[in-house]
Amino acid sequence: MPILKADAAACQGYASCVIAADDYFDIDDDGLVVLLSTEVPEADRERVDRAARACPAAALRLEGA
Amino acid sequence: MFDPSDVVDHVRNGMLPAHIYNDSEIFAAERDAIFSRSWVFLAHESEIPQVGDYVVRRVMENSFIVSRAGDGAVHAMFNMCLHRGMQVCRAEQGNASHFRCPYHGWSYRNDGRIVGLPFHREAYGGETGFSKRGQRLLPAPAMDTVNGMIFVSLDPEAPPLREFLGDFAFYLDYYTRQSPSGVEVLGPQRWRVKANWKIGAENFAGDMYHTPQTHASVVEIGLFREPKAEKRKDGATYWATSGGGTTYKLPPGTLEERLRYVGYPDEMVERMKGAWSAEQLDLIGRDGFMVSAASVFPNLSLVHNWPKVADSDDVLPFVSLRQWQPISENETEVLSWFLVDKEAPEEFKALSYKAYLMCFGSSGMFEQDDVENWVSLTATAAGTMARRLLLNGRMGMLPDGSTIAPALGGDEWAGPGESRIGYGEYNQRHLMNRWADLIEAGPARTAAVTVGTPGEDAAR
Ligand code: SF4
Ligand code: FES
Ligand SMILES: [Fe+2]
Repeated sequence: MPILKADAAACQGYASCVIAADDYFDIDDDGLVVLLSTEVPEADRERVDRAARACPAAALRLEGA
Repeated sequence: MFDPSDVVDHVRNGMLPAHIYNDSEIFAAERDAIFSRSWVFLAHESEIPQVGDYVVRRVMENSFIVSRAGDGAVHAMFNMCLHRGMQVCRAEQGNASHFRCPYHGWSYRNDGRIVGLPFHREAYGGETGFSKRGQRLLPAPAMDTVNGMIFVSLDPEAPPLREFLGDFAFYLDYYTRQSPSGVEVLGPQRWRVKANWKIGAENFAGDMYHTPQTHASVVEIGLFREPKAEKRKDGATYWATSGGGTTYKLPPGTLEERLRYVGYPDEMVERMKGAWSAEQLDLIGRDGFMVSAASVFPNLSLVHNWPKVADSDDVLPFVSLRQWQPISENETEVLSWFLVDKEAPEEFKALSYKAYLMCFGSSGMFEQDDVENWVSLTATAAGTMARRLLLNGRMGMLPDGSTIAPALGGDEWAGPGESRIGYGEYNQRHLMNRWADLIEAGPARTAAVTVGTPGEDAAR
């Protein structure tokens, strides 16, 4: 199953990921990305991959995608 | 400086200084005193049925996003970014989980909470510089719903919506609760007319007198059975707390016969019997009155009519809701919705919509007739001669303030409020007296709201 990874240090708090897939991404009180789930079933792969690529800070990756 | 006492006293006496229909000072006073205090209609819940659905509507120039958030709750929030004031949502309607400001990219959840604030740490030093925790787009100072209709008030101290509507709620049910499921709406159509907003509100509130004249052609071509002069004056007008309207007198018959007479199929009649109180049914079945046009202060109107459709003698009823959105002292944006009972048969819905389009809406026949008058009235009200003229708005009232027609008793009119048969400008006076009260009271006092500066809130 594809695995989702986030680099909180790189995150700039744009929330592009949250807007694209708010069932996988959220933003914590410090304004940084939080992953709500790291395992991405096939059915969600394309959508979550698109959300990860939407990150302007390149802080997200979907591995094995 | 504008002195409200110049106009208020005349208005209370039933005399209307003609310039109030085209006067920038009056318009400014209306913005501050009327539209910053009153409950104003924004949208109907059926326009945003799904989570994430939203519409953008205004109270004068104040733009609000009305959205259905993830938990199903409706939010009305001021459509202005907390950062530098850009309009956050630029579409008129849609479905979105979030709104992102186009200027610097701040983003908000569809319940208004801030989500994304780019470079929060670098640009503000994080929470210490800008506390984004708990920050949200400004909610409308007051929001409430009745029969699925979403209203807001810019006055946080506004009385509850139900209290404001008061006894008008009784009449609102005829338009917006013909079954326990309520109505669904289509629209709005929007168009602008070069007319002052008050003219339409007054007309719908009680002007039965214009029907035989202004709408004569509609009767002549045989599309409308009712507005013959002698029929219209048999109707009654009523006023109840914050709204009032006109009615037609129906021919003798039972409740069922009368509802059928205006075109409701039996199954809808049955549901009305289940949805309305004994008094609401009596006004039709016992007293023989059927609601037609109505207005709620300040700028919301309703209409219920039953024109003939096709070549038969059959009539078909429709209900419409409209808002007179003030643009300037001489321009109004009209928003017009079609309303129909959710449980109505599909065939009825389709025909009723046709009937609505034929009469009202941007291409409706009644609309065309009315607007010609209102545009011309507004243009004429701009001049210096109009400043001298006090229009006579006293129809139905004698010099000592008594009325020509007696108020109907409880055995003649089952509804609340005050009602009278025949022509009279009782309702227009009620509407304009409320207007005068608020103009005189002046602007509502409101506190400033600061954003993102912890500890300074108390010092504002
Ligand atoms: S899109 Fe990238 S920068 Fe923006 S919140 Fe998500 S991870 Fe952070
Ligand atoms: S004005 Fe909205 S992000 Fe700057
Ligand atoms: Fe009219």
